[in-house]
Amino acid sequence: MICVLEGNGVKVFGKAVHALSRIGETLWLDPGVKGLALRSVNAAHSAYGCFLFSPLFFHTFSLAPASGRRGEAPQCELLTKSLLPLFRCLTSIERNVERCRISIGDRSDQVEIQFFCRHGITKTHSLRFQESEALQAVFASHLCPNVLKAPARLLSDMVLHFPVSQEEITLSTTHLKVGLRNYSEGGNDRRKMMCTQMFLHPDEFDSLQIGVDSDITFCLKELRGFLSFAESHFLQVSIRFGAAGKPVCFSVEDMVLEATVVLATLIDSDSWDSSQLNVADAPPTARCADAAELPVDLHNADSSNAADMTEWVASSQGSPTMHPPSLMQLLPQIYEPDTLHAPDKACDRASATPASTTICSLLFRALSSELDDGGCTSRLPVLACYSDMEEDMEDLSKIPSP
Amino acid sequence: MPLSTQSQADDEQYVLVASLDNARNLSNILKAITFKDHAIFSATPNGLKVTVEESKCLQANAFIQAEIFQEYTIQEDLVGFQVNLTVLLDCLNIFGGSTVPGVSTALRMCYKGYGYPLTLFLEEGGVVTVCKINTQEPEEPIDFEFCSTNVTNKVILQSESLKEAFSELDMTSEVLQITMSPNQPYFRLSTFGNSGNAHYDYPKDSDMMELFKCNTTQTNRYKMSLLKPSTKALALSCKVSVRTDSRGILSLQYMVRNDDGQICFVEYYCCPDQEGEEE
Repeated sequence: MICVLEGNGVKVFGKAVHALSRIGETLWLDPGVKGLALRSVNAAHSAYGCFLFSPLFFHTFSLAPASGRRGEAPQCELLTKSLLPLFRCLTSIERNVERCRISIGDRSDQVEIQFFCRHGITKTHSLRFQESEALQAVFASHLCPNVLKAPARLLSDMVLHFPVSQEEITLSTTHLKVGLRNYSEGGNDRRKMMCTQMFLHPDEFDSLQIGVDSDITFCLKELRGFLSFAESHFLQVSIRFGAAGKPVCFSVEDMVLEATVVLATLIDSDSWDSSQLNVADAPPTARCADAAELPVDLHNADSSNAADMTEWVASSQGSPTMHPPSLMQLLPQIYEPDTLHAPDKACDRASATPASTTICSLLFRALSSELDDGGCTSRLPVLACYSDMEEDMEDLSKIPSP
Repeated sequence: MPLSTQSQADDEQYVLVASLDNARNLSNILKAITFKDHAIFSATPNGLKVTVEESKCLQANAFIQAEIFQEYTIQEDLVGFQVNLTVLLDCLNIFGGSTVPGVSTALRMCYKGYGYPLTLFLEEGGVVTVCKINTQEPEEPIDFEFCSTNVTNKVILQSESLKEAFSELDMTSEVLQITMSPNQPYFRLSTFGNSGNAHYDYPKDSDMMELFKCNTTQTNRYKMSLLKPSTKALALSCKVSVRTDSRGILSLQYMVRNDDGQICFVEYYCCPDQEGEEE
């Protein structure tokens, strides 16, 4: 893949890298027919960010494989700390850089990023990448009962009131008002910290659609970069969410790019009830039932991964069905539809220990262009596909469907 | 001004007296070479030269000509001593380095000779401080035998274009490779870090390139840790000349304008890293 950015586009791209750097330590450069996607996932799998730049964003965009490469452009996994320094100083990029050329595939394991600057100066960076399947959070935003739309500026102004060190905030929504307050774990600290709470009238927002009154707590730190990006482009942010425990999705789009951040939300132990584990409301799916059983089995199956297991949340109702045609992805498809086979759903997985308040991790699915046999159960879409986890997945796929 | 009321008789005991109305004209330029504690001072009737060396393969010199000083008196052809540069800078900034316009620290630097401390009289706003800094036997600065006749390649660049490159240099790279050539890429800085390689190319016809005289293609590597301190000199300068000789020794000369618009020079000499594979 070769693409060329001109002028201000370089700064926008750089800002996207900055926003994603707040989320994870690795970044995927994922070229496809829909454009170039930048993705990042945090270590706990509780935050996901994706910036999709359509081909129109670029001065030139070509997926053609470079000489020597077989087939299509690879998905490149880079360290954020390798890519971020190239775009660190946005003001100097704005001042000096005329064009930026990104090419994947000239050399099998390197991405080449060239900056053509004023005065004829050229900066060429060759970054090593690892070819790996990009993770994509699977989340059907159309099923979210609550949708809030507001200019990024309003949201930035709201979070401005919280200190930079504030980790998590709670968004409470009813038909009558929208509230935001800081969140702290454990009651003991309350006396020592400053509590901030604000309420806004629904009229402040461009649109407010509340199907379910909810209180969701999510990580603010990971969101800040995205809000800063959205604000600098004067974009409207759509927030889609449901009850506590379900992920919250922030998205912006304009003519040439779409950006999304999906964050897991806390399940409050007080609101824990068996219905969260009940799949009765949704058309029963083998997948959901499997997922409900997974945490228990997993916990026993592989003690070495026990630490990971405790983060997983049992499936909850209201998740998308397993039937591929009825499934809609929140995030844009990068691959040809026919290569996208696995049924996916976003199931929030709660810890099997109800007493604790836990962050739910999002379910991830690896983007893969390989065709499987098409069966839903042939691979577990609900698990983040790191290669070292694949053995576990194979074990899990043997769990019989009800 | 209390400093100027010193009697003539006092002055005769000093082998070197140098005065500045604005001590920043000395302290700023010394900051450009402060990567080690100790500096060798060599004063001649032409002016003051301050030398700092590292590992026998890097040398930085700051030149402050006699004309820069409001008063410059020297009784011998060469006066040499060694002092702790960090202490000297602390003394020069003893009044806190205020940036209020019109307010500056005045300096009178006096040296009686071998075995005596370096005496600094500093005054700001009517307050006078006297600092006496111990001096040591001066070491002989390395002579790199770098002469213009041996220079193979030379470029002069406007510092602005290099400043950004140097501030962005991948510090995980152990070396900075400099390629100078009459052909493409003309003038190239390269790093080889943990994440990958980076090249900064300056074409010979760039408007940042004031002079381009490259006769042969040369690629040399220098330890990044040795060259990184030169970034301070680069930051102060308006122009820099980059020269290599047939042995690959690098000479960087920085033209620095002080607060009063006068020109001073800072130069760095660096030996190439052991022979490695060329990129």
